[in-house]
Amino acid sequence: MDWQALVLSLELAAVTLLVLLPAGLLLARWLAYTSFRGKSWVEALVVLPLVLPPTVLGYYLLVSLGGGSAIGRWMADTLGVRLTFNFLGLLIASVVFNIPFLVQPVQRAFEAIPRDLGEAAAVSGLNAWQTFWRVELPLAWPGILSAMVLTFVHTLGEFGVVLMVGGSIPGETKTIAISIYDRVQSFDLAGANQMALVLVLFSLVAVGASFFASARLAVRR
Amino acid sequence: MTAPGAPIGLELEVEQAQPMPLSGRLRCGPGELVALVGPSGAGKTSMMRVLAGLTRPEQGRVVVGQEVWCDTAQGIFVPPQRRHVGLVFQNYALMPHLSALGNVALSLLQLPLAERTAQARRWLEHVGLTQEQQSRRPSQLSGGQQQRVAVARALAREPKLMLLDEPFSAVDQMNRQGLYRLLADLRRELSVPIVLVTHDLNEARMLADRLVVMDAGQVLQQGSPASIHNAPRNARVADLVGIQNRYRGQWLGAIDDAAGYGRLLWMGADETTQAQILTVRDKGKIPSGQAVHWIIPSDGITLVDPSAPRLADGSDWDAQVLEARHLGEISLITLALGAVSGAQLLLTLSGPQRQGVNVGGTARVKMDLNRVHVMPMRPR
Repeated sequence: MDWQALVLSLELAAVTLLVLLPAGLLLARWLAYTSFRGKSWVEALVVLPLVLPPTVLGYYLLVSLGGGSAIGRWMADTLGVRLTFNFLGLLIASVVFNIPFLVQPVQRAFEAIPRDLGEAAAVSGLNAWQTFWRVELPLAWPGILSAMVLTFVHTLGEFGVVLMVGGSIPGETKTIAISIYDRVQSFDLAGANQMALVLVLFSLVAVGASFFASARLAVRR
Repeated sequence: MTAPGAPIGLELEVEQAQPMPLSGRLRCGPGELVALVGPSGAGKTSMMRVLAGLTRPEQGRVVVGQEVWCDTAQGIFVPPQRRHVGLVFQNYALMPHLSALGNVALSLLQLPLAERTAQARRWLEHVGLTQEQQSRRPSQLSGGQQQRVAVARALAREPKLMLLDEPFSAVDQMNRQGLYRLLADLRRELSVPIVLVTHDLNEARMLADRLVVMDAGQVLQQGSPASIHNAPRNARVADLVGIQNRYRGQWLGAIDDAAGYGRLLWMGADETTQAQILTVRDKGKIPSGQAVHWIIPSDGITLVDPSAPRLADGSDWDAQVLEARHLGEISLITLALGAVSGAQLLLTLSGPQRQGVNVGGTARVKMDLNRVHVMPMRPR
């Protein structure tokens, strides 16, 4: 059992969620409540990481963030920070890769809130912020919760993008999914089996619990 | 004109072409109840949204009391948060995740929590919800109770204008009676303008001081229910307020030796029959020869005993009973007049008058020609 890899995966999942959640909420709410020209294209862009092969996404991230790229060079020269083959690079890739998993369900959750509730809130004197906290967030909460769990669990299982952008540096970029792959490559099936089982059980419990909680939280109308 | 300093209630003027046409003026005094009536899509709810500040009109002005809430000419637009409007939504729009108490407390966020809760409780008690019901969520309350919560939420806002959008449409007949009483109580205690949107004319007539008839985004006429019923401005208004006895005719002009009266040619469906000429009141507004619509309210028509001596003034007609629908306490009768081809009279009978009215039978009717109201036909 590669505990180091498991801990790293959990860290990556937690930090990804922390970074993605606020931005994702804003983006999802904006997409749910406004209509504008070209909205379909923005939505397509949001979904793109879901439909692209992870290697393609990983490849573009590597090319655009790597030491040879303008961004990569600038970051290295001015801040002394590398964006590939380290935790930071992994985090950026993980955030990009998870955008659809978070934004889509949250957008649907906001869209499902009847419009007249927002208007009732405005007439009752609530400003935009109060409406968000007291009306929209509680009503969208079941959807937000499942999106969070989905994102977290999905990050644990990420493989292709991680390998492309992060490589397999123990303690830095070697996540549990990569560790399982390494074990299989070196014919350590018992070790692979153990870790795969942990991942299956963890994911099942997390998703199951979130569905249960969402069903309990969902407000009957 | 209102005297300076006197409360002026509500004044609305709106003129817009997009996104939907909307035009008209509306006034409602403090404590007065005005009903906006018209078919669905007439713009009633849009008018209400302009009043609440949920829609910004292309051009318009909303003044309530001494406050200007909207004046597009001067670039004034007060958002709904700062208008103090009590709006009861059509489907109540209660927050499904909050208890009845929480819903009302939401209108009182400016108060500290303890006071907010106490006041919300008072409002809910005021509309007749028990302590136990106050802690329930909307989904656990009946339609009538939900509506009471919506009313309490609107009242908690200490509204300067009360708006009710089809408030009774989702409530069954039994509960409606109780809610009508609640509304009557409200009117007594609130001295603010109340605007009610409804498509139910009976409801509007029963509850409102004045009706505002709307169609296709336009205010067509406003006035007391009786005045609109007796003198609709045009054929469309007559149709919208449910006047069934409407006919076509031609105005023949004033009668020289009878001031205030004129002659009306009643035209049947088919031009060949002998037309009837009626002597009716003349307001001197219609030129001779003008094609007109005219109406007679159903209370201007009475059944006459067939054995009674015939009246000589031309208001006494022989008719045939085409249809008789007996609906509980009342009967709806359709008569065909022999003298004018295609002309039918609809009347509502109750009591002993209904006896002896049978389909295919004959009847004699008297029309009170003083009740005839003539409207010029608009050129199409």
